[in-house]
Amino acid sequence: MAWDPDKDVIEVIRGPQKAGGAGGLYRAFGETLRGLKTTFGQLRMGVDTIQYPEEKIPVYPRFRGRHQLHRFEDSGLEKCVGCSLCAAACPSDCIRVVAAENTPENRVSAGERYAAVYEINLSRCIFCGYCEIACPFDAITMGHEYELSDANRSDLIFTKEMLLAEPLERTPLRAEGE
Amino acid sequence: MPRPVEKLVSLTINGNEVQAPAGMMLADAALKYGDVEIPVFCYDAKIGPPVGACRMCLVEVEGIPKMQAGCSVAVTDGMVVHTDTPTVKAAQQAVLEFILINHPLDCPVCDKGGECPLQDNAFGWGGGLSRFIEPKRHFEKPLALSPLIAIDRERCILCYRCVRFSQEVSEDDQLVLEERGADTFVTTFDGHPYVAPFSGNITEMCPVGALTSRPYRFRARPWDIEQAGSVCTLCPAQCNVSFSVRDERVLRVLARDHEGVDDGWLCDKGRFAYQAIHVDARITEPMMRDGGELRPVTWDLAIETAAKLLSHAGANTGALVGGETTNEEGVLLTHLMRQTLGSNDLDSRPGGALDLELLRALSSPTLQASVPDLQHAHAVLVLDCEPVDDAPILDLRLRKGVRHHGVKLFIASGRPSALDERAAHSARFAPGCGEAFAAALGAELAGQPSAARAAAAGAEADDVVALAAQLREAGEEVVILWGERLTGGPRRNEGARALLNLAAQLELDGRDGGGLLEIPSGTNSRGLREVGVLPNASIGLSDALAVGRDSQQIGEALAAGDLSAVILLHSDPLLDQPSSALWQQALGKASAVIAHAAFLTPAVLEHANVVFPAESYAEKEGTVVHPDSRVQRLRRSISRQGETRAEWALLAELAARIGNDPKALTGSMVSARIFEQVPFYAGLSLDLLGGVGIRWSEREAAASFPSAPAAPFTLDAPPAAASPNGLLRLGSFRSIWASPEVEASPALSFLHPRQRVEISPADAERLGINHGENVTVASNGDSVTGLAQIRASAPDGTVFLQTSIPGESAALLEGPLVEVKRS
Repeated sequence: MAWDPDKDVIEVIRGPQKAGGAGGLYRAFGETLRGLKTTFGQLRMGVDTIQYPEEKIPVYPRFRGRHQLHRFEDSGLEKCVGCSLCAAACPSDCIRVVAAENTPENRVSAGERYAAVYEINLSRCIFCGYCEIACPFDAITMGHEYELSDANRSDLIFTKEMLLAEPLERTPLRAEGE
Repeated sequence: MPRPVEKLVSLTINGNEVQAPAGMMLADAALKYGDVEIPVFCYDAKIGPPVGACRMCLVEVEGIPKMQAGCSVAVTDGMVVHTDTPTVKAAQQAVLEFILINHPLDCPVCDKGGECPLQDNAFGWGGGLSRFIEPKRHFEKPLALSPLIAIDRERCILCYRCVRFSQEVSEDDQLVLEERGADTFVTTFDGHPYVAPFSGNITEMCPVGALTSRPYRFRARPWDIEQAGSVCTLCPAQCNVSFSVRDERVLRVLARDHEGVDDGWLCDKGRFAYQAIHVDARITEPMMRDGGELRPVTWDLAIETAAKLLSHAGANTGALVGGETTNEEGVLLTHLMRQTLGSNDLDSRPGGALDLELLRALSSPTLQASVPDLQHAHAVLVLDCEPVDDAPILDLRLRKGVRHHGVKLFIASGRPSALDERAAHSARFAPGCGEAFAAALGAELAGQPSAARAAAAGAEADDVVALAAQLREAGEEVVILWGERLTGGPRRNEGARALLNLAAQLELDGRDGGGLLEIPSGTNSRGLREVGVLPNASIGLSDALAVGRDSQQIGEALAAGDLSAVILLHSDPLLDQPSSALWQQALGKASAVIAHAAFLTPAVLEHANVVFPAESYAEKEGTVVHPDSRVQRLRRSISRQGETRAEWALLAELAARIGNDPKALTGSMVSARIFEQVPFYAGLSLDLLGGVGIRWSEREAAASFPSAPAAPFTLDAPPAAASPNGLLRLGSFRSIWASPEVEASPALSFLHPRQRVEISPADAERLGINHGENVTVASNGDSVTGLAQIRASAPDGTVFLQTSIPGESAALLEGPLVEVKRS
């Protein structure tokens, strides 16, 4: 349909014509005061800022942070047998496993084989948790640590020793119902 | 027996009409012609007839009330088969549940995990549930079945594949199943380790992880590796292999089933000697002799020095070319020698040159037998070679022919053969007298008196008569499998003539399914000859413009000072050439020895001035020619290790620095040049060769093969074999394990041979020698020591020693008679 300029209605809203008086004062400061009421009202709410890194937000139990490798609590042997299923499941191809054979003198894991090299390139990892699902021995789980920035990319390749060790600082866990 | 004529029958599989050759097993026919997979564990056509042990392949055949095992029912006309009915499904699920009753669930630690037929079948056809809650059976594990093979008896599903391989394919009869029922387990019959030339194949055959390779143990999982197909160049059999590569390292070698070459098997050398690619002992950087010792140098310096040494020597340069050289490297070496340095002194045959006319006659395409002919011919005559040592995979092919196709096997050799017990007739002659024996046999076949020649060969006259009679009766398709030894001695031309006469008597020229098949001394000997790496031939076996010195004469000329420099391209004359005394002297006198080598073998270690690192066969690209004329392509599977460079590029660079650039920019450019210049390769290309190669003798271009004189030739009387007269005749052989690659491979080094002195029980008793004690073999002041091995089948009056081993090699001794005594 063609545009007909005559059919356009332009409505102009104008302010009060007459200045001064109480109404004028209200118009000048009323909205400001209303805003200040919100501002000062917040004073009694207390402070919500988290003082990171001194303070941290607790994470949910199923939070998928940096991976952890586990040992058996009783024997101290590694749970990982170096089966490489995590590497097969990994969509970003960031896990590298090189297996070796346990010997009676050098028993590392409970199975016949163990992971001689276990590396996760955390700069590639997308924290999907497929490795945890693929693991037949619950040897790898997604931990809670999320502070993974580093100055050097190669420092983000975590070795087996780093993954087996407890994180330097424990990430606070959210309590039930919190 | 000639190849069976295929008769097609039609049957119905799952409602679809399918045509398949009569007699084929249902499981094969369904997969190949009906696109229906019938799951199997125990059956594989290449192991031999089915045994129906696993029951995985149950199918319904209309008209038969009970289910049938698809692997052991041959297809017949009008057969109606169902593989997807509820009954079949229930049977498959039940069988899998049954098989899994005792199978441990240790897939995460099992090397087979990810490429396991049991996993695949359980996933594809299993029910997913087990009702079995009782404890599984337990065996001690893991155990070493041999230094190369680990056995896990808990995982075994008793499919009999390994046992059948051992008993029916390699026929070493070592593996058996002991006990019965659930207690059954695979073991060797005497409990000793399973050490055999083909033992590694059972790790590939095993459908579960019960038999696994120890060198590959826990190295990688299937998703960590890539498969790269190439050709094994460790022996003339040139089996097609597939390298498992992880992180630019070869971790495993698998067979790449090729009916025309290897039939899907590999020998243990081919399967495990890949380790030599990644050992510290390998030369991976150029080296130069400095103060008597080889020290690593830069590439630039090495090439510069080599070019300077060669241009200084000019036409006084000789070259020895080893069997692992590709055609491309061979052609560039001839360019370097003939066109750049002006020298014709190059040779790829050990021992000496053969008349070009005779060489052409022996390589003639109409006389050429193929590898499958060995299994389908009426008769095979193994003449002066030992297949299991010289080209191991042909040993399996001959056994298959005898076992399944009724081939009559005849053996004529100096040393007792591993195939003797399968042979219809075996004849022995004195070592080195193959020529006289072939002449005697030829004469007998022609109806002439042969007794004098037989006596000259040191053979029984009756043997020759009996062999000739059986050979004539066996049928018209005869393959003569002959070793290069027959045409390698001082009377090599006579040997070739005798062989050609024999072929003419049997009318093998132009015969389908019969002919001659050579086992040359080097992997690519045939290809190197055809591209002109010979003193008396140039490319395409055409006449050389000028005839140069052969390998023997190069050695003599070096020793005499007529030649001053020598190039050793993958060749160590102290190991490969018949006389190491001559070559010690020759290399000592040479002012420049330029070697391309992968290992510090004796000649390289002691004499080389400049050493260039040689590529391993997994790093090489190029073409090689199988003894049955199949041109095959090598493909690069891994990056070159260390500072190794492509050798074709190095040879081109050397020629360019000396002042005659061959203008070879890529390896495939050189290949294309070869296909253009060799008339009988015309029309070939790397793409055409593909993964399986092409036999040039079957193509039309073979018609342009240079013509050769026709047999029969008149033969002069061979000299009589030396009579022992209290001493012993010296025979030599090269063991399958005698190679630097075997020595360098950690897994195989236990097999690398020490010198053994093979002697008959009668001679041992006469000389007072006991089995296993040290003995000295001496002649003309030279002596070799080794362990005495009393071999019941060894002929009296002869002692056999190994060649091609560093140290105590038979090449140190000069025959024909030697003295053996306790040391």
